[in-house]
Amino acid sequence: MKQFWMLEVDLSTGESKRTEVTRLFDKWLGGTGVATKLLVDNCPPDIDPYAPQAPVVFAIGPLNNVFPVITKTAALFKSPLTGDLGESHAGGRFSLALYESGNHVLLLRGKAPSLSYIVIENDTVLIKPCNSLKGMSALASERVLRDTEEGLGKRSIVRIGPAGERLSPIACATVDSSRHFGRLGLGGVLGSKNIKAIVVSGSRYWKIEEKKKYNSLYTRLYKEIVHSDSMAKYHDLGTAMNVIPLSKINGLPTRNFSQGFFEGAEKISGEEFATTRLAQQIACAGCQIGCIHVATLREAFNQAHHMYKTLKVSYDHELIFAWGSNLSIDSTDMILKLLQAVEKQGWDGISMGVTMAWATEAFQRGLITERETDGLILNFGDGEVYLKVLNRIAQGANEFFQSLEKGASYCAKKYGGKDFAIAFNANEAPGYSTGPFAFLGYATGVRHSHLDNAGYSIDQKVLTTSISFEDAIKEMYDEGVWRMVMNSLVACLFARTVYDVKTICEALESVGIEWSAEQIGEFSHRLHGLKYLFKEKCGFTFDKLALPEKLTRVYMSNGKVDQEMFKRGLEIYRKFVESDMEMAISEMP
Amino acid sequence: MAKLMRVINRDQCIGCYSCMNACSRAWESALTVEKAALRVKNYPGVEGAFSVRICYGCTEPDCAAVCPTRALTPRKGGGVQLDKTKCVGCGSCIKACVPGALQWDIEEKHPLVCRHCGICAQFCPNDVLALVEVEE
Repeated sequence: MKQFWMLEVDLSTGESKRTEVTRLFDKWLGGTGVATKLLVDNCPPDIDPYAPQAPVVFAIGPLNNVFPVITKTAALFKSPLTGDLGESHAGGRFSLALYESGNHVLLLRGKAPSLSYIVIENDTVLIKPCNSLKGMSALASERVLRDTEEGLGKRSIVRIGPAGERLSPIACATVDSSRHFGRLGLGGVLGSKNIKAIVVSGSRYWKIEEKKKYNSLYTRLYKEIVHSDSMAKYHDLGTAMNVIPLSKINGLPTRNFSQGFFEGAEKISGEEFATTRLAQQIACAGCQIGCIHVATLREAFNQAHHMYKTLKVSYDHELIFAWGSNLSIDSTDMILKLLQAVEKQGWDGISMGVTMAWATEAFQRGLITERETDGLILNFGDGEVYLKVLNRIAQGANEFFQSLEKGASYCAKKYGGKDFAIAFNANEAPGYSTGPFAFLGYATGVRHSHLDNAGYSIDQKVLTTSISFEDAIKEMYDEGVWRMVMNSLVACLFARTVYDVKTICEALESVGIEWSAEQIGEFSHRLHGLKYLFKEKCGFTFDKLALPEKLTRVYMSNGKVDQEMFKRGLEIYRKFVESDMEMAISEMP
Repeated sequence: MAKLMRVINRDQCIGCYSCMNACSRAWESALTVEKAALRVKNYPGVEGAFSVRICYGCTEPDCAAVCPTRALTPRKGGGVQLDKTKCVGCGSCIKACVPGALQWDIEEKHPLVCRHCGICAQFCPNDVLALVEVEE
């Protein structure tokens, strides 16, 4: 019988305790399931997301480090950006290190007396003051801590950059090499707890009990993942392969979502990056795909003496959209320079990029002027100025620059331009303007992410098949519910074609964990409902969801969207969600 | 001809640790990377620079030479074999292996010896490792 443990750390008192939570995993599977239940039980919905009592829950699932590509960790918290359910997922080595420390859950509460980092090595839990790391970039912090903390075995280092220390609600937490708990502001929440970093390692593990059965399933899945085409695109060009095809169908947001066609798409495409800038692909621990595309940028810093420096920065579709097409930048080098600045500060790449696009449009419309920008002229395409803007935000140069790291919705409330602040429930939109379902997806999803219910792929389906509006919404909803399961395992969504319900049950059974397809189905709806119940308790309602007016004027892959259609979609989705909420009502404290 | 493990394409490593998982699984029935007889090491702040450390199959192994109890002895064809009953857990062998290819079992306190079986190579997606024939 497999056991699951939770490590709770109170940062105010420095105390920690380890509790067996196997029954919680029996009911909530793992990952986002378990972490959501713990958040709901431990987080008063009306609490300030930056209050010491607000918990942060990290959880992995029953198959992490057991089968290939099940490599992620879910983080649940109250989001300082949306004011409701905060959730983001990251890969790297965090899931491996948590598991090897003997914990499937790490729950943090309280606030350290001064800037500190947490060290977890099996039963040892230390909270170490680190005022010397104050203001240190997310990249340098990792270098320093990897030197300082020897750990047991493979270490994982989660840390925030200066943006998190400044409590930016769009700050991320960076994990190992180029992985992030990116969206919804976990970086700010850790900053509010005075936590600069978490270093985890250990030497615990599960024994394989039924070796033959387990090995044969592992080998089958390994072959499917490595040798078949199902996942090839992720290690080939990566998600950056989307850039050209999306632009061709008017689906690549360009110049703050003014249009879906970017004339410079070929210059910043996955193909262009791969042939001219890609250094190598790297992987999360336990994933043979290796989708992390690391580019190099070689620059002379002293031309006369031929002195060069080489940066290594990772890229993907979302980053190319946010710092390329959506800012009208058609240079791979400039995108990489901007990304490096974002990585150092530790902002979410999508949120900061989309906020920058809002700022440019607001400047062009006269809502902000050179007075606010301290003389900088914001133009789409002018990367050098964007670098200066990032620098001034990092310095907190004035109120305007300080506002920019609070996100597009905050800025629009303060300076105007709400109709072109491209955010849904205050979360800046990701890189697909394929049609109404993409936007409905961002609006309705539990995390307001393209990863919630993949509305953008429904748009592409609608283009090629005849499916009614209602059925399309139902499909999106079904996908949103199914992803509760993937995110509880916690599997990388790139492996979603490999892990169907039958395979998941088989995989669980091979390590002695019993779940039937029916139980998984019931669980997925119950969890889905619980998330919306918590959101509503925090003040979220479907009625408040709005489509930024600008998007009604944009021609997309799938035509145009109007407010009436958007409202109708929300209404249909809301009805589905309400039935899930009824199932979960008894789970609320 | 003996067969020994070799790192044939170090620079193709993506750091997935699939090799270490395979070794731990096959020889220790353990779902971990820490029980593997090899290591993929990464370096702080250097994105994607991996070094793969696996038994070199020495014919005159330094690790065996320093073993005070003869628990670790040269293996026919290269490398070493371990008699766990003789091992006192002193760790001298680990220090004697200059490239750090010999691994240590933190839990059991004895070295983790590579059998040169090739299971790690079978689960390497990018041909970093291979079991190759070598002159005896």
